[in-house]
Amino acid sequence: MEAREATGPPAGRRGWSAWARRSPAPAAPLAALEALPILPRSTPLADVELVALDVETTGLRPRRDELLSVGLVPVGGGEVRLGGARHLPVRPRRPVGQSAVVHGLTDDALAAAPPLEEVLPEVLGAFAGTTHRRVLLAHFSQVEMTFLSAACRSLLGGPLRLQVVDTLEVQRRLLRAQHHELPRGTLRLDACRRSHALPRYAAHLATTDAVACAELFLAQCAELEVRRGRPLVLDDVAERGLSR
Amino acid sequence: MEVELAEVRDFLAAHAPFDSLPGEVLDDLPRRCTLRYARRGSEILRAGSMNDRLFVVRSGAVDITDDGQVVDRVGAGGSFGMSAVVEHVPTRYAVTAREDTLLITLPQAAFDELSAAHPVVALHFAATHHERIKAAIGQLHQARRGSAVLRTTVRDMLRRQPVTAGPGATVREAAQAMTDAGFSALLVVEEGRLVGIVTDRDLRRRVVAAGLDPSRPVRDIMTEGPVTVSADALALEVMLEMTGRNLHHLPVLEVDGSVLGLVTTTDLVRLEQASPVYLVTDLARQQDVAGVVRLAREVPAVVTQLVAEDATAADIGRVTSALLDAVAVRLLQLAEQALGEELGPAPGGWCWTVLGSAAREELGLSGDQDHALVLADDADPADPWWAALAERVTAGLEAAGLPRCDGGVMATNPRWRMRRRDWATTFADWSRAPEPEAVLGAAIFYDMRPLHGDTTLVERLRAEVLPRASRSELLLTHLAAQATRMRPPIGFFRGFVLEDSGAHRDTLDVKRGIAAVVQIARVHALRAGSGELGTAARLAAARAAGVISAETARDLSDALELMSYLRLRHQADQLRAGERPDNHLSPERLGSLDRRHLRDAFAIVRTAQQGMALRVPRVG
Repeated sequence: MEAREATGPPAGRRGWSAWARRSPAPAAPLAALEALPILPRSTPLADVELVALDVETTGLRPRRDELLSVGLVPVGGGEVRLGGARHLPVRPRRPVGQSAVVHGLTDDALAAAPPLEEVLPEVLGAFAGTTHRRVLLAHFSQVEMTFLSAACRSLLGGPLRLQVVDTLEVQRRLLRAQHHELPRGTLRLDACRRSHALPRYAAHLATTDAVACAELFLAQCAELEVRRGRPLVLDDVAERGLSR
Repeated sequence: MEVELAEVRDFLAAHAPFDSLPGEVLDDLPRRCTLRYARRGSEILRAGSMNDRLFVVRSGAVDITDDGQVVDRVGAGGSFGMSAVVEHVPTRYAVTAREDTLLITLPQAAFDELSAAHPVVALHFAATHHERIKAAIGQLHQARRGSAVLRTTVRDMLRRQPVTAGPGATVREAAQAMTDAGFSALLVVEEGRLVGIVTDRDLRRRVVAAGLDPSRPVRDIMTEGPVTVSADALALEVMLEMTGRNLHHLPVLEVDGSVLGLVTTTDLVRLEQASPVYLVTDLARQQDVAGVVRLAREVPAVVTQLVAEDATAADIGRVTSALLDAVAVRLLQLAEQALGEELGPAPGGWCWTVLGSAAREELGLSGDQDHALVLADDADPADPWWAALAERVTAGLEAAGLPRCDGGVMATNPRWRMRRRDWATTFADWSRAPEPEAVLGAAIFYDMRPLHGDTTLVERLRAEVLPRASRSELLLTHLAAQATRMRPPIGFFRGFVLEDSGAHRDTLDVKRGIAAVVQIARVHALRAGSGELGTAARLAAARAAGVISAETARDLSDALELMSYLRLRHQADQLRAGERPDNHLSPERLGSLDRRHLRDAFAIVRTAQQGMALRVPRVG
């Protein structure tokens, strides 16, 4: 299994989409990332570099809705490294509409932000570790991955292939050991944080949510480590396979 | 964008010393930080290890321990790691997560930069570090347990002002002053300095036996330049000094040479004998009120001794109640005897009952009298025998140092001298009273403990009253509202809300916190239908009945113990200084650890009150 992942994605995967529509240059960041190997699942978690990431969007359908901001913060060695935190607003192509009520990002506020074409390379750059691809850390990672991968496909010609740790899934694993059925809402970010006695944050700022997710991850690891009675490895928390 | 990391920035901005940093410095600070998480019980720093950062508790709490002893408990906004960042030495203390804890860490380099640019930061952490070291040393002393002689200082032993006279006073005046005060020695003081001592023995040998004129000045018979002892000497040292030099009196001086008092061999003997057991036995043997009163006046000294011995407030409360029970019972027996001779035997069955803190066995050093009489149903409440009994006992208690109740809740008040069935009716009225005022004064009667006489009268009364009270939503609502209104001082960062005027300016009234817990426990116990009287027992009963959570019960009991203990210690200090014990703690005189614990206790009380306010159904 390790061997398969370490070899990376099949080479043919990358070429499909409309290379012709975009100049080849923007694909470089994706290629740079693809060139980095994936960490073996047996890597001690203490040695794993992750990037906690949260996105704000105009809605949940990547075909119609747009990315408005990306918040990210590096996590590693049992620490959330606030020095590496980034908040990357994105200028949308269409007005944000009513979604501003949720994320507080207005058209005016985003007017000066760079377009997604410029933001995306910076996001991808955050995942380029020194020796390996960094692991994506998110709560309910489907949203983040769907939007980022869709952006990569349309702008850079290929999917974003990363290892993923989803704090929602880790929480589900922690709770499953105790309960057969999980009450509704148990797995929401704020509920998860509450269950680990973490402070309440005003949600819906991408950076805050990324930090909130990162803190939750540290708390979950502490709990999981006690349960397992041994230091954790990436396999204890990571999703199967790669994102696509 | 400026909103980045606003949570971390705003948190730091709300806590010292970061709160005094300029906005732009604060904006930049989070970038220099990392976040860590520590699970409850896990070790964050090991004593003796190297550390390269300052830790600020973002949420949760940690215990800072020195050799197993807790030096400090740090909650949100507090920091640790100062050994490293301030002193650049290995970590002095072990730090363990007391709760699941989120930490903000600031690396040494960033800390140094911040300290250099903003001295307030350096000062704050140096001061916190210093306080912690002091607390650790203080606990070292406390841990040195042994007999009372080993732990008590001379200062702690002094109970009364010494008798003094100038060197020019006559021998007769001196002898008179000693006789009046009941002292066997007098200190001769000139311009605030001790110049000599005169003892009973001197009066015998140098005056009476030598046929000296008593109008001569005491200067002629005093022992000049007597051996003295410092106020901070241990009782053990005094004992060695006295036996070594065959002295019976030692003047006690302050460090600056001023006269503080006199310690005698009797004080040393009493120190080892100041046992509540002796006192209770002695009380029961007294044949007149004067004898009871004399012994009763020793009670504060015994209590003070227990405080010095570090007994728990709960234990001290029980011992004090037992002692004052013994005083009251003996006074009741003597009154009964005397009335028997004057008016004949009691005209019916009766029971003397104590109320409030005496009933709950939670007496401290500042209580007053709260009692009542429950008479048999066939007794005549108007019979003068009852009033005479009440007046005698109340007067005796007053002479013994227990002031009469301001609110008149005493058996001397005909209103609180009723037949059992009239008491039952009164309680029934309280549980139906539509207006809260009627109920508030009544709360104390739900703390009712039979002390002397036919105790079954009170037991039957309570058996009838309690179930009714526990069913009366109206009564419980009023009592709960009362409990939530008794606001403890509210802690805010590094301070308390203090009394801001009057004689108790800049102090905090710890009684408000204690009373709140007492009232909360009373309501919960009533709701649970429990007949327990003690606050801790009531909380336990309420927990067992599922009225409150185990956590709430434990927290409130702990809070009560802490507040009561600090109050006792404060009152013991006041007694030693010759002041009247009160409830007003000065935060400055509390150690940082006690301050922090007290703040925790008040927070617990407030949380419990909020919890109760939510549950209380609104009336009207």
